[in-house]
Amino acid sequence: MGHIAAVPYPWPFDGDLRRENTALVVIDMQTDFCGKGGYIDLLGYDISLTRACIEPIQRVLATFRKRGFPVFHTREGHRRDLSDLPDNKRWRSRRTPSGVGIGDQGPCGRVLVRGEPGWAIIPELAPIDGEPIVDKPGKGSFCATDFELQLRLRGIRNLVLVGITTDVCVHTTMREANDRGFECLVLRDCCAATDRGNHEAALKMVTMQQGVFGAVGDSRALMDAIATGPLPS
Amino acid sequence: MSSITVQAEPNAIAIDTDRTALVVIDMQRDFLEKGGFGEALGNDVSLLSSAVPHCAAMLEVARAAHMLVVHTREGHRPDLTDAPRAKIERGSPSMRIGAMGPMGRILVRGEPGHDIVRELCPRPGEPVVDKPGKGAFYATDLHLILQTAGIENLIVCGVTTEVCVHTTVREANDRGFRCIVPSDCCASYFPEFHEVALRMIKAQGGIFGWVSSSARILDAFR
Repeated sequence: MGHIAAVPYPWPFDGDLRRENTALVVIDMQTDFCGKGGYIDLLGYDISLTRACIEPIQRVLATFRKRGFPVFHTREGHRRDLSDLPDNKRWRSRRTPSGVGIGDQGPCGRVLVRGEPGWAIIPELAPIDGEPIVDKPGKGSFCATDFELQLRLRGIRNLVLVGITTDVCVHTTMREANDRGFECLVLRDCCAATDRGNHEAALKMVTMQQGVFGAVGDSRALMDAIATGPLPS
Repeated sequence: MSSITVQAEPNAIAIDTDRTALVVIDMQRDFLEKGGFGEALGNDVSLLSSAVPHCAAMLEVARAAHMLVVHTREGHRPDLTDAPRAKIERGSPSMRIGAMGPMGRILVRGEPGHDIVRELCPRPGEPVVDKPGKGAFYATDLHLILQTAGIENLIVCGVTTEVCVHTTVREANDRGFRCIVPSDCCASYFPEFHEVALRMIKAQGGIFGWVSSSARILDAFR
Protein backbone atom coordinates (compact mmCIF):
# COMPACT_ATOMS: atom_id res chain seq x y z
CA MET A 1 0.00 0.00 0.00
CA GLY A 2 3.02 2.23 0.22
CA HIS A 3 3.39 5.39 2.24
CA ILE A 4 0.72 7.59 3.69
CA ALA A 5 1.01 11.32 4.24
CA ALA A 6 2.24 12.10 7.74
CA VAL A 7 4.47 14.53 9.60
CA PRO A 8 7.47 14.71 9.52
CA TYR A 9 7.82 11.88 6.97
CA PRO A 10 5.58 9.68 4.82
CA TRP A 11 4.73 6.68 7.00
CA PRO A 12 5.87 3.96 7.39
CA PHE A 13 9.52 4.76 6.72
CA ASP A 14 9.95 1.98 4.13
CA GLY A 15 6.45 1.96 2.66
CA ASP A 16 5.84 -1.59 3.89
CA LEU A 17 2.23 -1.21 5.03
CA ARG A 18 0.20 -4.43 4.95
CA ARG A 19 -2.49 -6.11 7.00
CA GLU A 20 0.07 -8.74 7.96
CA ASN A 21 2.43 -6.29 9.63
CA THR A 22 0.29 -3.35 10.75
CA ALA A 23 -1.97 -3.19 13.80
CA LEU A 24 -4.31 -0.63 15.29
CA VAL A 25 -3.81 -0.12 19.03
CA VAL A 26 -6.78 1.45 20.82
CA ILE A 27 -5.49 2.74 24.12
CA ASP A 28 -7.53 3.00 27.33
CA MET A 29 -10.93 4.01 25.92
CA GLN A 30 -12.45 3.23 29.31
CA THR A 31 -15.27 4.86 31.23
CA ASP A 32 -12.72 5.87 33.87
CA PHE A 33 -11.01 8.10 31.32
CA CYS A 34 -13.92 9.43 29.28
CA GLY A 35 -17.20 8.56 30.99
CA LYS A 36 -19.51 10.32 33.42
CA GLY A 37 -18.55 9.42 36.98
CA GLY A 38 -15.23 7.91 35.88
CA TYR A 39 -11.80 8.75 37.25
CA ILE A 40 -11.08 11.68 34.92
CA ASP A 41 -14.53 13.12 35.61
CA LEU A 42 -13.89 12.83 39.36
CA LEU A 43 -10.60 14.64 38.90
CA GLY A 44 -12.64 17.60 37.69
CA TYR A 45 -11.56 17.57 34.05
CA ASP A 46 -13.91 18.23 31.15
CA ILE A 47 -14.60 14.78 29.69
CA SER A 48 -15.86 16.28 26.44
CA LEU A 49 -12.16 16.68 25.62
CA THR A 50 -11.38 12.98 25.94
CA ARG A 51 -14.71 11.97 24.36
CA ALA A 52 -13.95 13.98 21.23
CA CYS A 53 -11.90 11.14 19.75
CA ILE A 54 -14.58 8.45 20.10
CA GLU A 55 -16.25 8.96 16.72
CA PRO A 56 -13.01 9.26 14.74
CA ILE A 57 -11.74 6.07 16.38
CA GLN A 58 -15.02 4.30 15.54
CA ARG A 59 -14.45 5.05 11.86
CA VAL A 60 -10.84 3.86 11.88
CA LEU A 61 -11.79 0.76 13.83
CA ALA A 62 -14.52 -0.09 11.31
CA THR A 63 -12.06 0.30 8.45
CA PHE A 64 -9.41 -1.86 10.09
CA ARG A 65 -11.96 -4.56 10.80
CA LYS A 66 -13.40 -4.47 7.30
CA ARG A 67 -9.96 -4.67 5.72
CA GLY A 68 -8.80 -7.48 8.00
CA PHE A 69 -6.09 -5.57 9.85
CA PRO A 70 -5.34 -6.69 13.42
CA VAL A 71 -6.70 -4.64 16.30
CA PHE A 72 -5.51 -4.56 19.91
CA HIS A 73 -7.15 -2.82 22.86
CA THR A 74 -5.54 -1.81 26.14
CA ARG A 75 -7.02 -1.11 29.55
CA GLU A 76 -5.27 0.57 32.43
CA GLY A 77 -6.24 -0.96 35.76
CA HIS A 78 -5.11 -2.84 38.80
CA ARG A 79 -5.58 -6.21 40.42
CA ARG A 80 -8.42 -6.25 42.87
CA ASP A 81 -5.99 -6.67 45.79
CA LEU A 82 -3.97 -3.69 44.47
CA SER A 83 -0.76 -5.72 44.73
CA ASP A 84 0.36 -4.09 41.46
CA LEU A 85 -0.40 -0.53 42.56
CA PRO A 86 2.67 1.43 43.67
CA ASP A 87 2.14 3.44 46.87
CA ASN A 88 3.04 6.73 45.23
CA LYS A 89 0.55 6.21 42.42
CA ARG A 90 -2.22 5.59 44.93
CA TRP A 91 -1.18 8.51 47.15
CA ARG A 92 -1.14 10.95 44.26
CA SER A 93 -4.47 9.71 42.96
CA ARG A 94 -6.15 10.62 46.25
CA ARG A 95 -4.94 14.23 46.27
CA THR A 96 -8.05 15.31 44.40
CA PRO A 97 -11.13 17.39 45.17
CA SER A 98 -13.22 14.22 45.60
CA GLY A 99 -10.58 12.39 47.62
CA VAL A 100 -11.55 9.26 45.70
CA GLY A 101 -8.38 7.63 44.44
CA ILE A 102 -7.40 4.46 42.63
CA GLY A 103 -8.88 1.42 44.35
CA ASP A 104 -11.54 3.48 46.17
CA GLN A 105 -15.27 3.23 45.63
CA GLY A 106 -16.58 5.82 43.18
CA PRO A 107 -19.77 6.28 41.19
CA CYS A 108 -18.61 3.67 38.64
CA GLY A 109 -17.29 1.14 41.14
CA ARG A 110 -13.74 0.94 42.46
CA VAL A 111 -11.61 3.35 40.46
CA LEU A 112 -9.27 1.73 37.91
CA VAL A 113 -9.79 -1.74 39.32
CA ARG A 114 -10.16 -4.68 36.94
CA GLY A 115 -13.68 -5.97 36.65
CA GLU A 116 -15.37 -2.75 37.76
CA PRO A 117 -17.85 -0.85 35.54
CA GLY A 118 -15.63 2.24 35.27
CA TRP A 119 -12.68 0.18 34.13
CA ALA A 120 -14.56 -1.32 31.18
CA ILE A 121 -14.02 -0.18 27.62
CA ILE A 122 -16.87 2.10 26.51
CA PRO A 123 -19.59 0.35 24.50
CA GLU A 124 -18.99 2.51 21.41
CA LEU A 125 -15.54 0.95 21.03
CA ALA A 126 -16.15 -2.49 22.51
CA PRO A 127 -13.65 -5.14 21.36
CA ILE A 128 -14.97 -7.98 19.23
CA ASP A 129 -13.84 -11.61 19.11
CA GLY A 130 -10.28 -11.99 17.91
CA GLU A 131 -9.15 -8.60 19.17
CA PRO A 132 -6.78 -9.13 22.10
CA ILE A 133 -7.15 -6.93 25.15
CA VAL A 134 -4.00 -6.05 27.07
CA ASP A 135 -4.46 -5.25 30.75
CA LYS A 136 -1.72 -2.95 31.89
CA PRO A 137 -0.96 -1.64 35.37
CA GLY A 138 0.93 1.42 34.15
CA LYS A 139 0.87 4.07 31.47
CA GLY A 140 2.87 2.14 28.91
CA SER A 141 1.33 -0.90 27.24
CA PHE A 142 4.61 -2.85 27.27
CA CYS A 143 5.39 -2.64 30.99
CA ALA A 144 4.43 -5.79 32.94
CA THR A 145 2.26 -7.16 30.10
CA ASP A 146 2.38 -9.73 27.29
CA PHE A 147 1.82 -7.10 24.59
CA GLU A 148 5.26 -7.35 22.96
CA LEU A 149 5.06 -11.14 22.91
CA GLN A 150 1.73 -10.99 21.07
CA LEU A 151 2.99 -8.43 18.53
CA ARG A 152 6.14 -10.42 17.78
CA LEU A 153 4.22 -13.67 17.39
CA ARG A 154 1.96 -12.07 14.78
CA GLY A 155 4.83 -10.49 12.92
CA ILE A 156 3.58 -6.96 13.51
CA ARG A 157 6.08 -4.18 12.85
CA ASN A 158 3.86 -1.08 12.34
CA LEU A 159 1.62 0.31 15.08
CA VAL A 160 -1.16 2.85 14.57
CA LEU A 161 -1.83 4.41 17.96
CA VAL A 162 -5.14 5.94 18.97
CA GLY A 163 -6.86 6.58 22.29
CA ILE A 164 -6.43 8.51 25.46
CA THR A 165 -4.65 10.36 26.69
CA THR A 166 -2.23 11.71 24.10
CA ASP A 167 0.38 12.94 26.53
CA VAL A 168 0.21 10.09 29.03
CA CYS A 169 -0.66 6.55 27.93
CA VAL A 170 -0.47 7.05 24.17
CA HIS A 171 2.89 8.77 24.45
CA THR A 172 4.38 6.27 26.90
CA THR A 173 3.27 3.39 24.70
CA MET A 174 4.71 5.09 21.62
CA ARG A 175 8.04 5.64 23.35
CA GLU A 176 8.21 2.03 24.57
CA ALA A 177 7.30 0.74 21.10
CA ASN A 178 9.79 3.00 19.36
CA ASP A 179 12.64 1.85 21.57
CA ARG A 180 11.73 -1.74 20.69
CA GLY A 181 11.95 -1.07 16.97
CA PHE A 182 8.25 -0.77 16.14
CA GLU A 183 7.33 1.83 13.51
CA CYS A 184 4.65 4.06 15.05
CA LEU A 185 2.03 6.43 13.71
CA VAL A 186 -0.18 8.41 16.08
CA LEU A 187 -3.45 9.73 14.64
CA ARG A 188 -3.96 13.35 15.64
CA ASP A 189 -7.76 13.29 15.45
CA CYS A 190 -8.06 9.91 17.19
CA CYS A 191 -6.38 10.79 20.42
CA ALA A 192 -7.10 13.37 23.07
CA ALA A 193 -5.84 14.73 26.34
CA THR A 194 -7.30 16.34 29.44
CA ASP A 195 -5.57 19.54 28.36
CA ARG A 196 -5.52 20.82 24.78
CA GLY A 197 -2.09 22.33 25.19
CA ASN A 198 -0.67 19.00 26.30
CA HIS A 199 -2.31 17.22 23.34
CA GLU A 200 -0.69 19.62 20.88
CA ALA A 201 2.67 19.62 22.62
CA ALA A 202 2.75 15.81 22.81
CA LEU A 203 2.10 15.54 19.08
CA LYS A 204 4.72 18.16 18.34
CA MET A 205 7.30 16.23 20.38
CA VAL A 206 6.80 13.23 18.10
CA THR A 207 7.68 15.29 15.03
CA MET A 208 10.94 16.74 16.35
CA GLN A 209 14.34 15.45 15.19
CA GLN A 210 12.87 14.06 11.94
CA GLY A 211 10.37 11.97 13.90
CA VAL A 212 12.08 11.07 17.13
CA PHE A 213 9.28 8.65 18.14
CA GLY A 214 7.64 8.07 14.75
CA ALA A 215 5.12 10.16 12.83
CA VAL A 216 1.84 12.03 13.27
CA GLY A 217 -0.97 11.44 10.80
CA ASP A 218 -4.71 11.77 10.55
CA SER A 219 -7.40 9.16 10.16
CA ARG A 220 -8.54 10.27 6.70
CA ALA A 221 -5.17 9.68 5.06
CA LEU A 222 -4.76 6.33 6.77
CA MET A 223 -8.24 5.09 5.88
CA ASP A 224 -7.83 6.19 2.27
CA ALA A 225 -4.62 4.20 2.07
CA ILE A 226 -5.87 0.96 3.57
CA ALA A 227 -9.32 1.06 1.99
CA THR A 228 -7.81 0.24 -1.40
CA GLY A 229 -6.84 -3.18 -2.69
CA PRO A 230 -8.61 -6.49 -2.29
CA LEU A 231 -10.60 -7.35 0.82
CA PRO A 232 -9.22 -10.21 2.88
CA SER A 233 -10.39 -13.62 1.77
CA MET B 1 8.90 -11.70 62.92
CA SER B 2 11.61 -9.91 61.03
CA SER B 3 15.13 -11.33 60.67
CA ILE B 4 15.63 -15.07 60.54
CA THR B 5 18.58 -17.22 59.53
CA VAL B 6 17.94 -20.09 57.17
CA GLN B 7 20.38 -22.98 57.02
CA ALA B 8 21.21 -23.57 53.38
CA GLU B 9 23.93 -24.33 50.88
CA PRO B 10 26.37 -22.93 50.02
CA ASN B 11 25.93 -21.07 53.33
CA ALA B 12 23.33 -19.96 55.86
CA ILE B 13 21.42 -16.85 54.84
CA ALA B 14 19.77 -14.19 57.00
CA ILE B 15 16.54 -12.77 55.60
CA ASP B 16 14.02 -10.20 56.72
CA THR B 17 10.64 -11.95 56.42
CA ASP B 18 8.93 -8.62 55.73
CA ARG B 19 11.04 -8.39 52.59
CA THR B 20 10.65 -12.02 51.57
CA ALA B 21 7.99 -13.56 49.34
CA LEU B 22 7.02 -17.18 48.92
CA VAL B 23 6.62 -17.97 45.22
CA VAL B 24 4.84 -21.22 44.38
CA ILE B 25 5.43 -22.15 40.76
CA ASP B 26 2.91 -23.96 38.55
CA MET B 27 1.42 -26.40 41.05
CA GLN B 28 -1.36 -27.01 38.54
CA ARG B 29 -3.72 -29.94 38.23
CA ASP B 30 -2.57 -30.83 34.72
CA PHE B 31 0.99 -31.34 35.91
CA LEU B 32 0.28 -33.00 39.26
CA GLU B 33 -2.93 -34.98 39.23
CA LYS B 34 -3.65 -38.44 38.01
CA GLY B 35 -5.69 -38.19 34.83
CA GLY B 36 -4.11 -34.86 33.84
CA PHE B 37 -2.05 -33.74 30.88
CA GLY B 38 1.28 -34.62 32.51
CA GLU B 39 0.23 -38.20 33.04
CA ALA B 40 -1.26 -38.40 29.55
CA LEU B 41 2.22 -37.60 28.22
CA GLY B 42 3.49 -40.71 30.00
CA ASN B 43 4.97 -39.05 33.08
CA ASP B 44 4.83 -40.49 36.59
CA VAL B 45 2.97 -37.66 38.35
CA SER B 46 3.66 -39.13 41.79
CA LEU B 47 7.19 -37.75 41.35
CA LEU B 48 5.68 -34.24 41.48
CA SER B 49 2.92 -34.76 44.01
CA SER B 50 5.53 -35.60 46.65
CA ALA B 51 6.25 -31.86 46.83
CA VAL B 52 2.65 -30.91 47.67
CA PRO B 53 2.74 -31.45 51.47
CA HIS B 54 6.07 -29.64 51.74
CA CYS B 55 4.71 -26.71 49.74
CA ALA B 56 1.63 -26.72 51.99
CA ALA B 57 3.90 -26.46 55.04
CA MET B 58 5.72 -23.50 53.48
CA LEU B 59 2.39 -21.81 52.71
CA GLU B 60 1.30 -22.26 56.31
CA VAL B 61 4.43 -20.71 57.78
CA ALA B 62 4.52 -17.88 55.24
CA ARG B 63 0.88 -17.02 55.90
CA ALA B 64 1.44 -17.09 59.65
CA ALA B 65 4.37 -14.69 59.20
CA HIS B 66 2.21 -12.43 56.99
CA MET B 67 4.64 -12.79 54.13
CA LEU B 68 3.68 -12.01 50.56
CA VAL B 69 2.63 -15.22 48.83
CA VAL B 70 2.53 -15.38 45.03
CA HIS B 71 1.30 -18.30 42.94
CA THR B 72 2.09 -18.78 39.27
CA ARG B 73 0.37 -20.76 36.53
CA GLU B 74 1.71 -21.56 33.11
CA GLY B 75 -0.91 -21.18 30.42
CA HIS B 76 -2.15 -19.25 27.44
CA ARG B 77 -4.97 -16.96 26.39
CA PRO B 78 -7.86 -19.00 24.98
CA ASP B 79 -7.20 -17.54 21.51
CA LEU B 80 -3.52 -18.59 21.83
CA THR B 81 -2.31 -15.15 20.71
CA ASP B 82 0.46 -15.45 23.29
CA ALA B 83 1.53 -18.98 22.34
CA PRO B 84 4.57 -19.21 20.05
CA ARG B 85 4.18 -21.57 17.10
CA ALA B 86 7.49 -23.09 18.05
CA LYS B 87 5.93 -24.05 21.37
CA ILE B 88 2.59 -25.21 19.94
CA GLU B 89 4.08 -27.35 17.21
CA ARG B 90 6.19 -29.44 19.53
CA GLY B 91 4.69 -32.77 20.53
CA SER B 92 2.04 -34.85 18.87
CA PRO B 93 -0.92 -32.92 17.41
CA SER B 94 -3.44 -34.43 19.84
CA MET B 95 -1.34 -33.28 22.80
CA ARG B 96 -0.71 -29.74 21.65
CA ILE B 97 -1.38 -26.53 23.54
CA GLY B 98 -5.02 -25.65 22.96
CA ALA B 99 -6.06 -29.22 22.09
CA MET B 100 -8.68 -30.90 24.25
CA GLY B 101 -6.94 -32.81 27.01
CA PRO B 102 -8.25 -34.89 29.89
CA MET B 103 -8.98 -31.78 32.02
CA GLY B 104 -10.02 -29.30 29.37
CA ARG B 105 -7.96 -27.51 26.72
CA ILE B 106 -4.27 -28.09 27.38
CA LEU B 107 -2.41 -25.17 28.98
CA VAL B 108 -5.29 -22.76 28.41
CA ARG B 109 -6.35 -20.28 31.06
CA GLY B 110 -9.71 -20.92 32.62
CA GLU B 111 -9.68 -24.67 31.99
CA PRO B 112 -9.92 -27.08 34.96
CA GLY B 113 -6.48 -28.58 34.34
CA HIS B 114 -4.90 -25.12 34.40
CA ASP B 115 -6.00 -24.48 37.94
CA ILE B 116 -3.85 -24.90 41.04
CA VAL B 117 -4.28 -28.12 43.02
CA ARG B 118 -6.81 -27.92 45.83
CA GLU B 119 -4.25 -28.48 48.62
CA LEU B 120 -2.33 -25.35 47.62
CA CYS B 121 -5.28 -23.18 46.66
CA PRO B 122 -4.46 -19.44 46.71
CA ARG B 123 -6.20 -17.33 49.32
CA PRO B 124 -7.59 -13.81 48.84
CA GLY B 125 -4.74 -11.31 48.80
CA GLU B 126 -2.30 -13.79 47.27
CA PRO B 127 -1.63 -12.71 43.70
CA VAL B 128 -1.84 -15.38 41.02
CA VAL B 129 0.47 -14.62 38.11
CA ASP B 130 -0.45 -16.17 34.77
CA LYS B 131 2.65 -16.64 32.66
CA PRO B 132 2.92 -17.67 29.01
CA GLY B 133 6.46 -18.98 29.33
CA LYS B 134 8.67 -20.89 31.69
CA GLY B 135 9.98 -17.90 33.61
CA ALA B 136 7.53 -16.08 35.89
CA PHE B 137 8.98 -12.66 35.05
CA TYR B 138 8.58 -12.84 31.28
CA ALA B 139 5.50 -11.00 29.94
CA THR B 140 3.95 -10.74 33.43
CA ASP B 141 3.52 -8.23 36.25
CA LEU B 142 5.47 -10.29 38.81
CA HIS B 143 8.42 -7.89 39.02
CA LEU B 144 6.05 -4.97 39.60
CA ILE B 145 4.20 -6.86 42.35
CA LEU B 146 7.46 -7.76 44.13
CA GLN B 147 8.83 -4.23 43.87
CA THR B 148 5.57 -2.73 45.07
CA ALA B 149 5.73 -4.91 48.18
CA GLY B 150 9.40 -4.06 48.83
CA ILE B 151 10.54 -7.64 48.34
CA GLU B 152 14.26 -8.51 48.27
CA ASN B 153 14.25 -12.29 48.84
CA LEU B 154 12.25 -15.13 47.33
CA ILE B 155 11.58 -18.62 48.60
CA VAL B 156 10.84 -20.48 45.38
CA CYS B 157 8.86 -23.73 45.42
CA GLY B 158 7.04 -25.66 42.72
CA VAL B 159 7.46 -27.63 39.56
CA THR B 160 9.40 -28.56 37.68
CA THR B 161 12.78 -27.95 39.23
CA GLU B 162 14.84 -27.76 36.06
CA VAL B 163 12.27 -25.98 33.89
CA CYS B 164 10.00 -23.35 35.42
CA VAL B 165 11.61 -23.14 38.86
CA HIS B 166 15.06 -22.79 37.34
CA THR B 167 14.06 -20.24 34.72
CA THR B 168 12.29 -18.15 37.34
CA VAL B 169 15.24 -18.34 39.76
CA ARG B 170 17.61 -17.26 37.00
CA GLU B 171 15.37 -14.34 36.02
CA ALA B 172 15.00 -13.31 39.68
CA ASN B 173 18.73 -13.56 40.34
CA ASP B 174 19.54 -11.28 37.41
CA ARG B 175 17.01 -8.78 38.77
CA GLY B 176 18.70 -8.66 42.15
CA PHE B 177 16.52 -10.96 44.25
CA ARG B 178 18.06 -13.50 46.63
CA CYS B 179 16.46 -16.87 45.95
CA ILE B 180 16.16 -19.75 48.38
CA VAL B 181 14.98 -23.04 46.90
CA PRO B 182 13.77 -25.69 49.38
CA SER B 183 14.74 -28.91 47.65
CA ASP B 184 11.77 -30.99 48.84
CA CYS B 185 9.30 -28.30 47.76
CA CYS B 186 10.35 -28.76 44.13
CA ALA B 187 10.15 -31.79 41.92
CA SER B 188 10.69 -33.03 38.42
CA TYR B 189 9.45 -35.85 36.22
CA PHE B 190 13.17 -36.63 35.91
CA PRO B 191 14.77 -37.11 39.35
CA GLU B 192 18.28 -36.77 37.94
CA PHE B 193 17.40 -33.34 36.51
CA HIS B 194 15.97 -32.29 39.88
CA GLU B 195 19.24 -33.18 41.59
CA VAL B 196 21.54 -31.55 39.09
CA ALA B 197 19.35 -28.43 38.83
CA LEU B 198 19.68 -27.90 42.59
CA ARG B 199 23.43 -28.40 42.35
CA MET B 200 23.62 -25.73 39.65
CA ILE B 201 21.86 -23.20 41.88
CA LYS B 202 24.32 -23.53 44.74
CA ALA B 203 27.49 -24.03 42.66
CA GLN B 204 30.21 -21.37 42.50
CA GLY B 205 29.31 -19.89 45.87
CA GLY B 206 25.60 -19.80 45.08
CA ILE B 207 25.64 -18.55 41.53
CA PHE B 208 21.82 -18.44 41.31
CA GLY B 209 20.94 -18.62 45.00
CA TRP B 210 20.64 -20.92 47.99
CA VAL B 211 19.34 -24.46 48.36
CA SER B 212 17.61 -25.38 51.60
CA SER B 213 14.74 -27.64 52.68
CA SER B 214 11.28 -27.16 54.13
CA ALA B 215 12.45 -28.55 57.51
CA ARG B 216 15.34 -26.11 57.73
CA ILE B 217 13.13 -23.17 56.76
CA LEU B 218 10.50 -24.19 59.31
CA ASP B 219 13.28 -24.40 61.92
CA ALA B 220 14.34 -20.87 61.09
CA PHE B 221 10.82 -19.59 61.76
CA ARG B 222 10.63 -21.25 65.20
